[in-house]
Amino acid sequence: GVVPFVALLLLQRRPVAGRALLVTSSSCPSHSLCRSNVQEQTRRQVALLNATAQDLFSLYLKCQGEPFSSESDELCNPSGVFFPAFRVNRTSERKEVMVAMYKLFAFLNASLGNITRDQEELNPMAKELLDQLHNTTKTTRGLISNLTCLLCKDYNIFQVHVSYGESSKGKRAFKKKQQGCQVLRKYVQVIAQAARILLPHLTPP
Amino acid sequence: MFSGWNWVAYGFCLLLNFSSLQVSGGLVQSCGHIIPESPVLALGSNFTALCILNESCLDFGNIYANQIIWKIKNQVVPKEQYREINRTVSSVTFNDTSSLATPLTCNILADGQIEQNIYGIAVTIGLPPEKPKNLSCIVHQVSKLIYPMTCTWNPGRHTFLDTHFRLKYRWPQDEFPDCIPKDVNNSCTITDVQFFVNLEVWVEAANALGKAESDRLVLDPIEIVKPLPPHNLSVNSGILPTVLKLSWENLISGAVMKLKFNIRYRTIGDGNWMQVPPEDTASPRTSFSVQGLRPYTEYVFSIRCMKEDGVGYWSDWSEEKTGVTTEDKPSKGPPIWRIIDASDSLVSWTVRLMWKTLEPFEANGIILWYEVTVRAKSSLSGPAEKYNVNTTNLTLKLPNGTYEVTVIARNRVGASPPSVLLIPASNSKAPVKAVRTLPKDGKLWVGWTAPNSYVLKYVIEWCLVSNSSDCIIEWQNEPGSVQGTYLRGDIKPFKCYLITVYPLYADGQGSGHSVKAYLQQDRPSKGPTVQTKKVGKAEAVLTWNHLTVDEQNGFIRNYTILYKTVDGNETAVPVDPSKTEYTLSSLTSDTLYTVRMMAYTDEGGRSGPDFTFTTQKFGKGEIEAIVVPVCLAFLLIVLLGVLFCFNKRDLIKKHIWPIVPDPSKSNIAQWSPQVPAKHNFSSKDQMYPEGSFTDVSVVEIEADDKKSFSEQDLKPFDLLKKEKSTSEGHSSGIGGSSCMSSPRQSVSDSDEGETTQNTSSTVQYSTVVLNGYRDQTPVQVFSRSESTQPLLDSEERSEDHTGGGDGTIQRQQYFKRSSGQDETNTDRPCFERTRQITPTNEEDLLGFAQLQISGHSSQLLGLGLEKNIQEAALPDVLQTSIEGQTLRPEIMEGYPLSADEMPKSYLPQTVRQGGYMPQ
Repeated sequence: GVVPFVALLLLQRRPVAGRALLVTSSSCPSHSLCRSNVQEQTRRQVALLNATAQDLFSLYLKCQGEPFSSESDELCNPSGVFFPAFRVNRTSERKEVMVAMYKLFAFLNASLGNITRDQEELNPMAKELLDQLHNTTKTTRGLISNLTCLLCKDYNIFQVHVSYGESSKGKRAFKKKQQGCQVLRKYVQVIAQAARILLPHLTPP
Repeated sequence: MFSGWNWVAYGFCLLLNFSSLQVSGGLVQSCGHIIPESPVLALGSNFTALCILNESCLDFGNIYANQIIWKIKNQVVPKEQYREINRTVSSVTFNDTSSLATPLTCNILADGQIEQNIYGIAVTIGLPPEKPKNLSCIVHQVSKLIYPMTCTWNPGRHTFLDTHFRLKYRWPQDEFPDCIPKDVNNSCTITDVQFFVNLEVWVEAANALGKAESDRLVLDPIEIVKPLPPHNLSVNSGILPTVLKLSWENLISGAVMKLKFNIRYRTIGDGNWMQVPPEDTASPRTSFSVQGLRPYTEYVFSIRCMKEDGVGYWSDWSEEKTGVTTEDKPSKGPPIWRIIDASDSLVSWTVRLMWKTLEPFEANGIILWYEVTVRAKSSLSGPAEKYNVNTTNLTLKLPNGTYEVTVIARNRVGASPPSVLLIPASNSKAPVKAVRTLPKDGKLWVGWTAPNSYVLKYVIEWCLVSNSSDCIIEWQNEPGSVQGTYLRGDIKPFKCYLITVYPLYADGQGSGHSVKAYLQQDRPSKGPTVQTKKVGKAEAVLTWNHLTVDEQNGFIRNYTILYKTVDGNETAVPVDPSKTEYTLSSLTSDTLYTVRMMAYTDEGGRSGPDFTFTTQKFGKGEIEAIVVPVCLAFLLIVLLGVLFCFNKRDLIKKHIWPIVPDPSKSNIAQWSPQVPAKHNFSSKDQMYPEGSFTDVSVVEIEADDKKSFSEQDLKPFDLLKKEKSTSEGHSSGIGGSSCMSSPRQSVSDSDEGETTQNTSSTVQYSTVVLNGYRDQTPVQVFSRSESTQPLLDSEERSEDHTGGGDGTIQRQQYFKRSSGQDETNTDRPCFERTRQITPTNEEDLLGFAQLQISGHSSQLLGLGLEKNIQEAALPDVLQTSIEGQTLRPEIMEGYPLSADEMPKSYLPQTVRQGGYMPQ
């Protein structure tokens, strides 16, 4: 699941307008799979990510060794790294929330892919970390699929502009670890917010 | 198979083409080809092939399409299927490819009718794939984060072609690589799936004849998960003795899946599981307290889980874990029973109290001891005897009476309720009725009919009846509400059990009702050993002993006696099993019989050893009936013979032993000159007292010996006396033959005779007048002796010896005869004289000895005389053998006699003194 997203990341690094394209519902791909349970599936996916994010971040720090395990606050400060803005709240429109979620998890999917790639290179023996990174990446990929379905089915949105930031490829190991640490720390914060915001919007009527 | 044929066909075509190339490149040019090349055909479809000849061959070989011959595997295709399209193209059509085979060749009949192959193709026949059916998928959790999904389907019919199956799946916007089965065509496993995304799954089957897809399955993999069971299950005892707390870990995150659980448990040794109510464990959790358990009991627990909403699959059961509840006080008292032995004493009993250990679920812990209390019923207020016992029995010696016995079991927590048993003086209450048994399911069931009174409970006693061991009593309690139960014990088949049922009442107990039973019967181990008690001519009494209970193996239903002769058929006689004796009748006499005996149970019989006997030739009394008449007839004949002989004794005597004159009785003997005066022959009379004379009262004695008989003996001879008187009347007077003469008179006579003897030493003639023997008629014979030789001393001696008593008596007669007195009054003096004489001298004893011998030989007197005469030439013979008997010489030697006193006879003396007296 990483390779397609890397391609997507590279593609999206070009300046692309971040607006959704409206299409007719009949043109939504695989409409038969966009069933009523997608909302619940999406909520469960966000909840699952929220439930595992902190463990993932802790395990990541643990596997990177010093100084990350002892000075994570300083080294992993996310202010120095690109992270898509998530400016929605519980009162935001559902469509707006869905688009923001799409941008967030598209970014996370690409970033987790890059982090997984870097960790496979830097900590190939950290099986548990790699498993969790793989599993989280898969979940975000499924979440993107569901969000695409919801955007397409409910709002006929089949394309959303996504910003991915800077790739860690080619950087030094420490920088790769730090960038991953910064992204994951921000991920822990945002996923909790997303879970809170998304819950009322995805609760069945 | 088709694939194999294809390879063969291809090989063949390659060979053909290679040949064609060779030919075309060499001597012969390739003349054509077939289209389509190597077709794959659907089974049952039609097919047309074209053989196209090269133009070059037309001119060179003068070959045209009408000369083409189609062949399938060297078989010529019928011409009807050919069609000549033009002069270079020929087609062949097959309406059904099932008749087609490979290779299909195009041949041509060249000049000279030589068939040459132009081209050949391989034909593959098969079926298009069917639509895969019954697609289903399941997600097996293999670890906390890995969830492979396995899908299975029905691949459909065999296509005879290489058919490929692919499991396809995708998300709404994503396609995934196909899952290609390995080594199978009906399942494939996707290594990892993502939950909470609808997944579309389908199977595509494809071969050379087409493709087919299964129905599409849209599912969220979370709905088809079979999770791993909870692990690290632990069991902890709680505060209460009836509660155990289970704890475990779930291997699937609650964020992924909420779980519900099933908890099952059982006691150790029990194969049946109990389950905690599912509604109690329908929510996510990692622990649960199981309640309602038995105290101090070891339980086994296991747990499983599945998605909370019930969608998906249950996990496997987890590994089993055990836990033990804490102790509680015993829930009931031990069942109690007793054996009363009243045989030792009339005033007391030996009571053996027995109770059973409580079942674990009743003991609720480890029983430390039992408290036994015995209280006499007559003095319930009195002190009770208490015993603390570690075992399950207690033997007491109690005076006759009624007692109340209570037993309490104690463990660490507390005491059980008491068990009470009344030991009554007698079992006077109503017993149960109709005790019966029934083997069922390998166990022995005992049933009974309850008495009319209310029964508190029943005690069933049983023991194994055996010759080799005592009856060891086992027992069990049953509640009063039941009327049947299975015996709880090691009941063995083929063994006899004595089962007794006692009803226990609140105020006593009823007497026991017993029955014998077998769990399973078998044939007896052996048959009875039969033998004969008595064998007759036509019957035999057989006896046998009953089989021992160990040999019976079941209830002996009947005996059968089987007997036969050596060559006869076997006869069977059924016999009541209670009997030990049977009489076989109508047997053949003097015949060997073989008999054996079979004992039968419900399961069959077994024969005892063979026994043989022979019937008797004669029946009872038959021998006696033959022997007795024969003996009687023999005795009758003997008696008649004796009577005949007796009647004809004179005639017999006349012919057998005629009367020989006795010289001593001759008248000339009276002339004997010397009569030894002091030779007191009367002493011999003393030797024959009245009482003992009967022993020598031989009938053959001469009539003259009558004087030796008692009067009683002589009575029958009164007549003889008269006759004798008559005979005497005929005597010549030279010498009477009467023995009635007085010895004294005889002495005087002998004196006279001696004188006479002295006057003449030679005797020319003598006339001897013999008296008849008894009633014989005396024959008066006058014989003349021409001899001048005096009689030998030995002869006289011999005569004395042989004559014995006769001689002595004759000597007496001689003296009597000399008396010349009237015979009529001589008997009495003779006997009187006998009485008066006392045998005091030794001579008398010698004479007695001689007399005894003489007495024995008296019957042969006459003959002995002759014999003695013949042996008279033996002068030194002092002992005379008479009838084989020999006088003992010491008698003779011990009492040597002087010549004057020689008691031998008078005759020797006479002889010595001059021989016969002249008449």
